[in-house]
Amino acid sequence: MGEAIVITSGKGGVGKTTTTANLGTALALQGKKVCLVDTDIGLRNLDVVLGLENRIIYDLVDVIEGRCKPHQALVKDKRVDDKLFLLPAAQTTDKNAVNAEQMKSLIEGLKQEFDYVLIDCPAGIEQGYKNAVAGADQAIVVTTPEISAVRDADRIIGLLEQEAIGAPKLIINRIRKHLMDSGDTMDITEVTSHLSIDLLGIVIDSEDVISSSNKGEPIVMDPNNKASLGYRNIARRILGESVPLMKLEEESKGVFARLKSIFSK
Amino acid sequence: MKKSYVHIKGTKDGLVLRLDDQCAYSELVEELERKVSEGGIDGKVEVQLHLGNRYCTEQQKKQLTEVVQNTGKMRVSKVQSDVLTTEESNLQFLQQKCEIYAGIIRSGQIVRSPGDIVIIGDVNPNGRIEAGGNIYVLGKLKGIAHAGVEGNKEAVITAAFFAPTHVLIADQTQTMSNEQQFVLKHREQLCAYLNSYGEISYSHVQDVRKLRPFLNTFKGGS
Repeated sequence: MGEAIVITSGKGGVGKTTTTANLGTALALQGKKVCLVDTDIGLRNLDVVLGLENRIIYDLVDVIEGRCKPHQALVKDKRVDDKLFLLPAAQTTDKNAVNAEQMKSLIEGLKQEFDYVLIDCPAGIEQGYKNAVAGADQAIVVTTPEISAVRDADRIIGLLEQEAIGAPKLIINRIRKHLMDSGDTMDITEVTSHLSIDLLGIVIDSEDVISSSNKGEPIVMDPNNKASLGYRNIARRILGESVPLMKLEEESKGVFARLKSIFSK
Repeated sequence: MKKSYVHIKGTKDGLVLRLDDQCAYSELVEELERKVSEGGIDGKVEVQLHLGNRYCTEQQKKQLTEVVQNTGKMRVSKVQSDVLTTEESNLQFLQQKCEIYAGIIRSGQIVRSPGDIVIIGDVNPNGRIEAGGNIYVLGKLKGIAHAGVEGNKEAVITAAFFAPTHVLIADQTQTMSNEQQFVLKHREQLCAYLNSYGEISYSHVQDVRKLRPFLNTFKGGS
């Protein structure tokens, strides 16, 4: 019997889908059987980030309305030897096509077969959010260090605390060290003390994340990237390992880079 | 001779009309009307109506007040009765009760209490507390606090860390702008209250004892 984890944020554009894709891939790389469920019906894009768009035959609404069996709709990611599957959202209907009860029984079924079921939640707190949360056992709240994202995360945490699920955990995404140092964004302690929930991990902002999701290849596939390391650490913490929080200090620059920075002043 | 239903008594606070609590209400109104129109009063006087053990609805109280005030010579300052309905009594009990909320009040959440409320935790921005009485926040107050919702002007708001976006006491509202220099300079351990002009003011929590001495229910101590 697996565990269903919903990944949510309230605000859009903070990286829910990217986080879902990368955590799913990282857990699969660790040898767990993972199913990703996209509940953003009408605006699906988890399939695009994973590069599985052109392999979709059936979708979530087809499963719920009984047009196919769940395993027929699951799209296998061949890169991580039969460990990672995606249940894509429908693109043609809207979020009201599904209700919370139906979602719950669907997730319940998937949990029998998989170690982890990661549910990608749509932005907002309407029906789509309610569907996504309905079947979950645990919740991960993704935020960026911006005040607007933290406000919405606060709202979402308040709503999650009223659901019958485990205490939500926090991921701070898209951290830009220079902005944090200059005080232009909230720093990690400020965010965690404001939201006062457990911090699951931090992910440093990297342009490679954008290019990799455009290529349809999750960044965790690249072992040398800082953002990738962040996601890998989070996956290890989900598996119960205790991994220290990543240091934000930049690596010491080489001689040439240092010379270059002196001359560019 | 028929027993009189209305007794007029003079006290140092003005006239008191003591109304009989055993007779029928309609008879009482008639008698009262007759009694107050008898005259013999010069100028305008303040009177109190004492109903004894009679329960009167708000409407009946209003009618009695009107009957007295129609003479033009008396003004009713207070209508007093010795009895309460269970409902009113329960409400009074709740208004005197102090509720405790342990946890964080997050964005979009509203916590309401008919009486006082103690928050063991923070009030985050866009979180809101509404209390019939006082509000005491043991954590950081960063949201909206409304004390004395039903119009209690004596209500106070205190917080260990005072950084709300809006402060409301009774019918007064204040948004925290840069003009609130006192609050900006002293974030820690502040209280908000209505001053004698009915405006929201701020002070250190230590001053609550002076500002609202009746809040202190603790007796003794050495």
